[in-house]
Amino acid sequence: MQHALEMHDITKEFPGVKALRGVTLQVRRGDVHALMGENGAGKSTLMKILDGVYPSGTYAGQIIIDGKPVAFHSPHDARLRGIGYVPQEINVVESLTVAENIYVGQTATNAGFLVSQRTLAERARLLLHECNIGLDPRRSIASLAASQRQLVMIARALSTRPSVLILDESTSSLTLEETDNLFRVVRHLKGRGVTCLFITHKMAELFELADRVTVLRDGAVVSHFDRGAFQEGDVVAAMVGRRIENFYPRRESAIGTDEVLRVQGLTIPHPHLVSRNVVENLSFTLRRGEILGIAGLVGSGRTETVNALYGRNAYRGDVQVEGVPVRIRNPRDAKRLGLGLLTEERKKEGLLFNFGIRENISINHLSGVSRAGFLSRKKENQNARLYMQRLAIRAPSPTTPVLNLSGGNQQKVVLAKALVASPRVLMLDDPTKGVDVGAKNEIYKLMLDLAAQGIAQIVISSELPELLAMCDRLIVLWRGRKTAEMSKEEATQEKVMLAATGSST
Amino acid sequence: MTEKSVARLEYSTPQQPLTVRRFFMGILSVPEVGVLIPLIAFTGIFAAINPTLLTPDSLSPMLKAVSFIGIIAVGEAMLLVAGELDLGVGSVAGLCGMVAGTLMAFHHWPLPLALLASVATGALVGVVNGVVTTFVGVPAFITTLGMLWIATGVNYLLCHGIPISKDLSPALLKFGDREPLGVSWAFCIFVIIAAVGELVMRFTIFGRRVYATGGNAEVARMAGIDTRLVKLTCFVITGMLAALAGILTTAQYAVAQPETGKGWELFVIAGVVIGGISLFGGSGSVLGAFLGLLLMQVIQSGLTMSGFDQNWQNVALGAILIAAVAFDVLRRRIRRL
Repeated sequence: MQHALEMHDITKEFPGVKALRGVTLQVRRGDVHALMGENGAGKSTLMKILDGVYPSGTYAGQIIIDGKPVAFHSPHDARLRGIGYVPQEINVVESLTVAENIYVGQTATNAGFLVSQRTLAERARLLLHECNIGLDPRRSIASLAASQRQLVMIARALSTRPSVLILDESTSSLTLEETDNLFRVVRHLKGRGVTCLFITHKMAELFELADRVTVLRDGAVVSHFDRGAFQEGDVVAAMVGRRIENFYPRRESAIGTDEVLRVQGLTIPHPHLVSRNVVENLSFTLRRGEILGIAGLVGSGRTETVNALYGRNAYRGDVQVEGVPVRIRNPRDAKRLGLGLLTEERKKEGLLFNFGIRENISINHLSGVSRAGFLSRKKENQNARLYMQRLAIRAPSPTTPVLNLSGGNQQKVVLAKALVASPRVLMLDDPTKGVDVGAKNEIYKLMLDLAAQGIAQIVISSELPELLAMCDRLIVLWRGRKTAEMSKEEATQEKVMLAATGSST
Repeated sequence: MTEKSVARLEYSTPQQPLTVRRFFMGILSVPEVGVLIPLIAFTGIFAAINPTLLTPDSLSPMLKAVSFIGIIAVGEAMLLVAGELDLGVGSVAGLCGMVAGTLMAFHHWPLPLALLASVATGALVGVVNGVVTTFVGVPAFITTLGMLWIATGVNYLLCHGIPISKDLSPALLKFGDREPLGVSWAFCIFVIIAAVGELVMRFTIFGRRVYATGGNAEVARMAGIDTRLVKLTCFVITGMLAALAGILTTAQYAVAQPETGKGWELFVIAGVVIGGISLFGGSGSVLGAFLGLLLMQVIQSGLTMSGFDQNWQNVALGAILIAAVAFDVLRRRIRRL
């Protein structure tokens, strides 16, 4: 069988490090070929070489497409030879329509220079239809959810009719349902002979979609697996170089008996539409050290719920912290009451990129590292070291800029930041998003540690297996209403999905 | 991007034989070096062309000249770090100098009260700037541009366009005449304020909050910081420092002139930016801004003393401004790799 794509003995060096060492990758035509590896393993570097971002000549080795050697000098070259690339970051122009975003940079024109909206929309409609993507080309991007924007990115990559499509962690911001939808699109493309290279951190997706898996570690290929010939543990072991026992650690500690948080009749009005509520009449309680999961699709009101409890969204309803009725008007109130929030937008809302690790950790607790308004460098360093050790943040020093950290380590810094404020209730909105397998496992362990210390947690996640494994109790939201509540023992994937799509009531 | 840099970080730390290179990279990563090196270099070049540059007779007027703008620049630096901007500083300085002048000359207020009223005027302007910008939400560029005209207008209304030199407090004029350390009180005050500003920004909780606010206001808010209050405070500090600069100008030239402060805002912002303060907020230091102002002054005076046409000053100033920001951009890129 001829390979649609071969990369032979690719070696890429950056000053000071070999990012790729003799990587050989063979992708069969029409396969969905998964590329796995921890952050820093070289996946993205390899894909950037394939996409012409790193031009021919800046690396050693050869790329062969359909049996013919090629040399890409730019991403444009790669497009011409049938490579379509969907980058990890969603990169759309807010002010334009779906159609305009799909054809950004390759506009349809009338008379050579006038942009024809109608032609553009028509072409986009055909493309979207062909790819089985249900989006209106005339809609403006601003009105789309993250997942729909991801689909626009995919449509853009498909607009050049590629024979090889690269998806770089395209599901990291999608919910289960949206992921399913994306997979339908991928299978549909596969049926039409498109080869797909798929980078992911999620095991479940691997089993669902991939025909073959190549695992990279430290810039080299460590193993290949064919569909059906591997188990989760094998892939994880190949990625991290050791076997991880208990990927989802088991809770050993007991849950407290006293109630730390009681929410009654929580209603969050829609920020723009007067007559709509994003969350309606939601009630739940939380005991000391308990881990409560909120399941639901994006847009179900789960993110708004935790944001309201952190004083970032206006709400109606009663909130009690340790039996005392409280009103949370802003994050300062929430912090004072012992609530902590880790948002889903780590880059935008989690870190101060003008600072190092040390300053990021202490920003939530400046009074603890200062005396009479003056910061103490010594205390700050001690504090930073303490948390770096506690959370196993891997970095050369407390002053390392957070920009230079991997996703997993950045997330741990965000967690450390939340923890220095000594919260009683920690709300975690998708805490393992964009984090590699090893670091995920560490975050799970940490959650249990915190629970054992009595810190109650509210966890939101798009990965259902994670919620089922980590949470003591689950509530499920559908269009802002609670449709189910179940204990860990009762919960199954099916029950949660049914409730999350509103079908169980 | 991050993925790549992490890989490099992990591999390159243990085995870096190039200590010389690391040394220079280390130096380059200290932000103030970017302005200190050209400051020393230009001083050296101009001193080589005209050795009298480094004599007290020529240093003194140079340092006197930079003082007023420098005092304001300390506030402007804090404001820029917080992610805001004040374009009205020059005209507010002029207004506040005039407030002190008219109160003394026309209304015979005692000196301390007149000074207090002048500084209060600066603070009030800061409060208005801060409230309109952070609470109402008008961009600082517009708020303070408007304030520039308002202050200029009120200034001329106060004095009817006529400079006030009679009936100014003799104590004030005497103070302006003194030459401590061979320079002026204004310069000493500039140095003290710059030192205090640097300490506040580097070592206090307030300073940290300013950096956090400018770095990412949303993250700062979530950390419980009242970012609006932080910004408002910076506006008020800037207004008060502008008032101080206005008073010191009046004292030194023994006249309250309506033209005082005209065009200062651009020098203030240029000097601060040359000193490495980012226009996007969250980075740079008062020390850097201080050095930036000195650099700007050295180039201006150096060119004049080296016999260049006056107009070369403007050309050089523009070039150094662009070069400074270009350097900053490149330095960030190096650090990121």
